[in-house]
Amino acid sequence: MTWQLEAEAPAGRGVVARRFRLANGLGVIAAVDKRAPIVALQTWFRVGSRHEKVGATGMAHLFEHLMFGQTEELAPGDFDRLVERTGGESNAATWVDWTYYRLSLPARDLPLGVRLEAERMQHLVLEPTPVEAERDVVTNERRERVEDDVDGWLDEQLMALAFTTHPYRWPTIGWMEDIRALSLPDIRGFYRTWYAPNNATIVCVGDFEESALLDLIASHYAHIPAAQLPEATSTAEPEQTRERVVRAPKPIATDRVLVGYKAPGQDEVDWPALEIVATLLAGCPSARLYRKLVIEHEAASSVDAQLTPFRDPSLLRLAITTARGHDADEVLGIIDAEMAALIASPPSKAEVEKAKALAETDFWTSLVEIDGKAEALGHYETALGDFRKVNQMAERLAQVTVEDVARVAQKYLVKERRTIVIAEPEAELPEEEEDE
Amino acid sequence: MIIVEPSPDTPLVWFDIAIRGGASADPRGVEGLHRHAAMLARRGAGSRDRAQLDDVLDGLGAAIDVGVSRDSVSISGLALSRHLDEVIALAADMLAAPRYDEDEHARLLRETPQVLDEVRDDDSALATRWFDWVCAPGHAYGRTSLGTEASLAAIDRTAAAELWRREVVADNLIIGVAGDVDETRAHALAARLTERLPKTPRPPVVATSGVVESRGRRAILVDKQDRTQAQLRIGHLGMRYGEPDTAAIAIAEAVFGGMFSSRLMQEIRVKRGWSYGAGCGLRRSRLPHWFEIWMAAGIDVAAPAVALALELFADFAANGPTDDEVDFARSYLIGSMPFHVATARQRMQLAVRDAVFDLPPGFTANLPASFPTLSADDVRAACRRQLRPDDAVTVAVTTAETARDALAACGAGALTVVDHDEY
Repeated sequence: MTWQLEAEAPAGRGVVARRFRLANGLGVIAAVDKRAPIVALQTWFRVGSRHEKVGATGMAHLFEHLMFGQTEELAPGDFDRLVERTGGESNAATWVDWTYYRLSLPARDLPLGVRLEAERMQHLVLEPTPVEAERDVVTNERRERVEDDVDGWLDEQLMALAFTTHPYRWPTIGWMEDIRALSLPDIRGFYRTWYAPNNATIVCVGDFEESALLDLIASHYAHIPAAQLPEATSTAEPEQTRERVVRAPKPIATDRVLVGYKAPGQDEVDWPALEIVATLLAGCPSARLYRKLVIEHEAASSVDAQLTPFRDPSLLRLAITTARGHDADEVLGIIDAEMAALIASPPSKAEVEKAKALAETDFWTSLVEIDGKAEALGHYETALGDFRKVNQMAERLAQVTVEDVARVAQKYLVKERRTIVIAEPEAELPEEEEDE
Repeated sequence: MIIVEPSPDTPLVWFDIAIRGGASADPRGVEGLHRHAAMLARRGAGSRDRAQLDDVLDGLGAAIDVGVSRDSVSISGLALSRHLDEVIALAADMLAAPRYDEDEHARLLRETPQVLDEVRDDDSALATRWFDWVCAPGHAYGRTSLGTEASLAAIDRTAAAELWRREVVADNLIIGVAGDVDETRAHALAARLTERLPKTPRPPVVATSGVVESRGRRAILVDKQDRTQAQLRIGHLGMRYGEPDTAAIAIAEAVFGGMFSSRLMQEIRVKRGWSYGAGCGLRRSRLPHWFEIWMAAGIDVAAPAVALALELFADFAANGPTDDEVDFARSYLIGSMPFHVATARQRMQLAVRDAVFDLPPGFTANLPASFPTLSADDVRAACRRQLRPDDAVTVAVTTAETARDALAACGAGALTVVDHDEY
C-alpha cells in the first residue's frame, strides 16, 4: 500500500510529525521520538458535546465510557486487562469539539494497541446491562465533578448562561436527567454515525518505525468503510449585548466568582492577542489582577484566567475566590477598574514581552512528554483542522504587539459581553435553643 | 547531593532543591511553620522584594515555586536554558538571603487561613485532611502541614527565619537538575546555589512524633450540608516505603487497588457503579505512613460501599492475591516503569524523592527487578504481615442527616460526627 504524505512539520527538537491518509478518510499523524521505549497512541474523533441534541446531552461522554467495554472479539473487561498486562495505560476524554482515546504502551506492544483501537471503532457490542452500569458510573462522576464541587458547578452555570443558542451551552457530562434518559437505540445510533475512519485521526508519538506503523494501520483499518457523516452545522451564537449575572448559595466559606467574556474561536485572528491578555491579567505572579485583588486589596485568595481553546467562539474566563471579609461585588468593582485601566492605557512593551516569554515556556512544556505532544497534535488537527497549527500558534503568539493587545482589550473586555456566576456561602441555620 | 539528568530535547531546564526536614518537624502547636518559612523565602530575597522577584522571573518566562511535604521543603524551578544563570541566581538568594519582611510575614498569616477555607470547600481535600489527622493520632504525618487557625497564630517571624538558617545548609540539600544542561554546567550551577550557605553538618531530622497505638475500627463522619456523595478514606498506619516488604506490597497494592483491573475498581465501580473511581496505596514517605483506600460513593450507597470495601480488605489481608493476580500485577508493574522514567525531569524527580526518603540511589527505578524474585506466597505473607483491616479508620465527608445511621451500622466501628469546619 502506498501512503500519501499530506503534511509535515517539526514537533519539538529533532522530531518531525507527518500526516498521511487512507482512502477511507482515516488520518494518521506519526511523530517518531525514540528517547524512551514507549509510544503514545491516540485516536481522535471529530465529535464532542456540541454534536448532541437537546434532551440527549451527555451522549458523547457516556459513549466514551462505553468504548472500553465488550466488542465482538473482546469479552467485558478484556480491553483494560490486555492493556494493563503490558504495563500500559488507557484513558479517554470528551469535550465540546472532540473525543479522544489514548493508549500509553511499551513500544513493543504497539501492534496490540492498533488492533484494539481498530476493533472497538467498528465492533463494539452495546448491551443493556453494561450500559446501565456505566450510566451509574457517569451519574456518580457528575455528582463528584459538579453537584458536590463548587468549581464544577460554576463552570456549568457559566456555559449555560453565556451561550443561549450554541451547543456549547450544555455541559459535556450532560444534564442529570438527560444522562438518565439516553436510550440504547440512540446510543447505538450515535456509534454508527460518528465512529468512522473518515471522522478520525490516529496520532502516534514515540519509539516506532514509521513505515511499520503505516503498514499496521493499513492492515487493520483500510477495509473499514467511510461513513456518511452528518452535514457540519454551525449554530451562530447571537451577539451578547447585556451583562448576565446569576447567584446561588453553596456550602462554601467565601464567595466564588466566575466571569466569562465572549471571545473568538482559537483559529481566529484575535486569539493570540487575547491569550496574551489572559496572561497579563492573571497568568503569572506579577499579573495585574493578581496584584490588585490578592496583594494590594487582599480581596481574593486566588485568581486565574483562561481562554478556552474552542473551535467556535469561546470565553475568556476569570475565576476568583474571595477572601474572608470581602465579597463578589467588591471583587467585580476592582476587576472593572483594572479592565478600564487596561483599555485606557495599553500595556508596556515589557509587559507584553513578559507574557510572550511565558508563552514560549508553555509551548515547550507541552512537548516534553510524548502523551502531551500527541495531545497537542491531536487537538489542533481535530478542532482546527491542521496539526501544524501547534507551531503556527507559537509563532503567532510571538508576533503579538502592544497595539494588538490594546485593540482586543477594547473589543472584548466589556461588561456587555460578559456573564458572571457567583456562588455565595449558604446562610447558617440558627442554633437550636435548648429547653431549660 | 547533586542529581543531574541532561536532555537536549527542549530548551527547558528544571531544578528541584529538597531541604530535608519538612512539616513533620514542625514544633508541636506550631504546625505550618515549615510552610510559612518556605513561602516567605519566596516572597523576597537578596536585593529584591516580592514584586521585584516576580517581575524578574515572569519577564524571563521562568518560575520558582516552593512547596512543603512531610519530609522536605522544596524549591522547584523551570527556566528556558538561555536564562538559567539568572534564575539560579534568584534561587540562590532565596536559599542564602531570604528577606523575611515583616509585611510579608503578616500578610501570609492573613492568607493561610483562607487556604484552609479552600480545603474545607473541596470534599476530597477535606477527606484527606481529616484522615491524616485521625488515622494514627500522634504520628508526625498526622499533623497538618498547612496548620490550623490556632497553630498559625503561634507562628513567629523570628522562629521561621531561625528555622531557615538552621536547615538550609549545604549538607542538608538534595539538588536535582534536568533538561537542556550538561553535567559540568549543572554541577557549577549547584555550586552557585550552595556557595553562600553554611558548610556545617546537616541538622538531624527530628520528626515530632508519639504514636498512640490505634486498635479496632472506628469511623468519623465529617458533616457537610447538601452532599450527594460521600468522599471516603479507609486505612491504617502501614509500613515504611523501603522496608523489605516494599516490593511485595507494591504487587499487593496493584492487585487490590492500583489498576483498572484491580479488585476495588472492579467490585465498586465496574460491577456496581457505586463510585467513579476506587483505589488504594501505601503512601511513600521517609517514615512509616498510611495504607489507604479511597473512593467517592453516592450518598445512598456510601454505607454499603464502606462495608464492601472492608470485607474485601479483610479477605485480601487474610488470603492475599491469587497466583494469577500476582502474575498479572508483576507484568503490569514491570511494564509500567519505563513510563515513570521516560523523561529527564521524571528521572531527576524520582531520584530526588528517593534521596529525601534516605533510600539507596535508584531504589524506585530498580524496584521492578525485585518482582520476578517474589513468589505469590511471598506476596500473601506480606499481606498478612502488613495489612490490618481490623484496625481500619474510616473517614466519610458527607451529610450526617442522610448518611449517619447507615454508616453507624455498616461495620466500620463506632461513629463520631464532626462539623466539617471543626478542623
